[in-house]
Amino acid sequence: MKTVTLRILGKRPGGVRINLHLLMLATYILLAVMASVIAPQNPYDPLQILAWEASSPPNTASGGGYTYLLGTDGLGRDIFSTILYGLRISLFVAFTSTALAAFIGVTAGVTAAYCAGWVDALIMRIVDLQLSLPTILVALIAIVTLGPGIDRIILALVIVQWATYARVTRGVAMSEAAKSYLDAARLLRLSTPRIILRHLLPNSIAPAITLIPIELGHAVALEATLSFLGLGVPIDKPSLGSAVANGFQYLLTGQYWISLFPGLALFGLIVSINFVGEDMRRRLDPGSR
Amino acid sequence: MISAIVGRLVQAFLLLLVMSLIGFIGIHSVGNPVFNLVNSETATVQDIRNATIALGLDQPLWQQYFLFIGNVLTGNFGVSYIYHLPAFALVMSKLPATLELAIVAMSVAAPSGILLGLLAGRRKDQPVDRAVLRASVVALSIPSFWLSMMLILIGAILTGWFPSGGRGSTVSFLGADWSFLTLDGLGKLVLPATALALPNIALIARLTRSGTIEVETQDFTRFCQAKGLSPRRILFRHTLPNISVPIVTIIGMQFGGMLAFAVVVETIFNWPGVGKLLIDSIQLLDRPVVMATLTFISIAFVCLNAIVDLFYVVLDPRTRRVG
Repeated sequence: MKTVTLRILGKRPGGVRINLHLLMLATYILLAVMASVIAPQNPYDPLQILAWEASSPPNTASGGGYTYLLGTDGLGRDIFSTILYGLRISLFVAFTSTALAAFIGVTAGVTAAYCAGWVDALIMRIVDLQLSLPTILVALIAIVTLGPGIDRIILALVIVQWATYARVTRGVAMSEAAKSYLDAARLLRLSTPRIILRHLLPNSIAPAITLIPIELGHAVALEATLSFLGLGVPIDKPSLGSAVANGFQYLLTGQYWISLFPGLALFGLIVSINFVGEDMRRRLDPGSR
Repeated sequence: MISAIVGRLVQAFLLLLVMSLIGFIGIHSVGNPVFNLVNSETATVQDIRNATIALGLDQPLWQQYFLFIGNVLTGNFGVSYIYHLPAFALVMSKLPATLELAIVAMSVAAPSGILLGLLAGRRKDQPVDRAVLRASVVALSIPSFWLSMMLILIGAILTGWFPSGGRGSTVSFLGADWSFLTLDGLGKLVLPATALALPNIALIARLTRSGTIEVETQDFTRFCQAKGLSPRRILFRHTLPNISVPIVTIIGMQFGGMLAFAVVVETIFNWPGVGKLLIDSIQLLDRPVVMATLTFISIAFVCLNAIVDLFYVVLDPRTRRVG
């Protein structure tokens, strides 16, 4: 765990590039955290929305004493503010689901490798089936089964993602489980959960960590897609995906800004996450260069 | 080899059965479809009860499930609550539109992805390679719904080159209606097919690139060079066949993925295919159609994977050995 962090931050050739991508991602996170301070308008508060200024093009002065930098949407919400607040929801959903999925997946993978036998067979068959189906299909099945809501979409994303972590972790844990320190742990009569969580898991976690940025990017994109389809977060508190969806009907009448700018923000977010992930994978796995 | 594939198929279908049970219970806990059928303002209690009985929703849940499974095994998913047509036939009637979109997109994506990948792999770490790699990360990062919308903005609204949505006029061929045989249909295919193809070009190019790099360092490539074969001949006659297995795998998987991702593209381009039907049905709580569509896509995907596995035997003589 420690070596992983050190090697990412180490000043080796190419260190500047990873920092640039990280910087972009950090800016996004900062913007999301500071949304209520930076945004000129709270798009969730109907009292702050001036309905007669709906569909204003970018750079229109508002009656509220500020400028609609990126215009307003069909309900009069400032696009810039909607992006900041939407970013907050998108990142919250993505981070929560990725963290939960990583934890559940790694635990499942380690358990499968340690217990072997039918436990292993059961877990890995579920993993195989899930990974053989496209993520969007698994997500749709989960959403149809779970129903709408922000907690449900997090759960759906966890269901989609845990399998990848489980498969990757099981591979490492299998070779790790054969090592003698685990025999030692068993001889000390440590309980099975303790051996799995305190000894096997920390030693098998490295490949799962390199997966996190990649899966984070997937989570952002998948949440946005589901929200766009109207199956994700509730429409009154739009994430970036639903903000883009709000603008779709206006696109055809030439009011491009309603969906263009939230989409650009979303695209930039996913690109920066993916580049950070790419850099990280290259550093930790020199063989893939 | 064959018995392994059959074993995996059986396992997959057992799991699908379990999933269908979970899905069945889940879908019954989300909303009551009766309220989408009757006019909620004028309907009497009696109307609602009649509608519930007519849909068989008054039966216990386990009975509904066994009825459902029994019917599914005979290809009967029930009658759509909205369209009043058999659900499975409805899905099948939308299938040609989706298939056509996926086939056109893949027949663009596969050759261009492979060519770009071979090119980048041959010139590893040169500008071409770096450009392909970077472009592929960007292409894989664009959410498909936003890509589709930008294609509409650029290709339809700003330039007016292509229509923004809908399916063109169709021609009957082999018992189904196809639109790629007419000029009007072809024009309407361009944008949605591009939206589906672009991420796949990136994916196939990346895979081909890493395969090419791996194969080019092996001894037989060195031998071919020593024999004096032209680089082009080595690339297409010796490198390409050796990386064909992972490429075919990804093409097969992505083809299934396109059937699923068509959900997004079809919704945006108003393309009357299976994906649009699924989203519409989820929103209208049209349970038989939702179940029929999801089951159909899942089974199609499992079968597609099996076909890809079988294809290995054709492509890679080493897998034909018994052992």
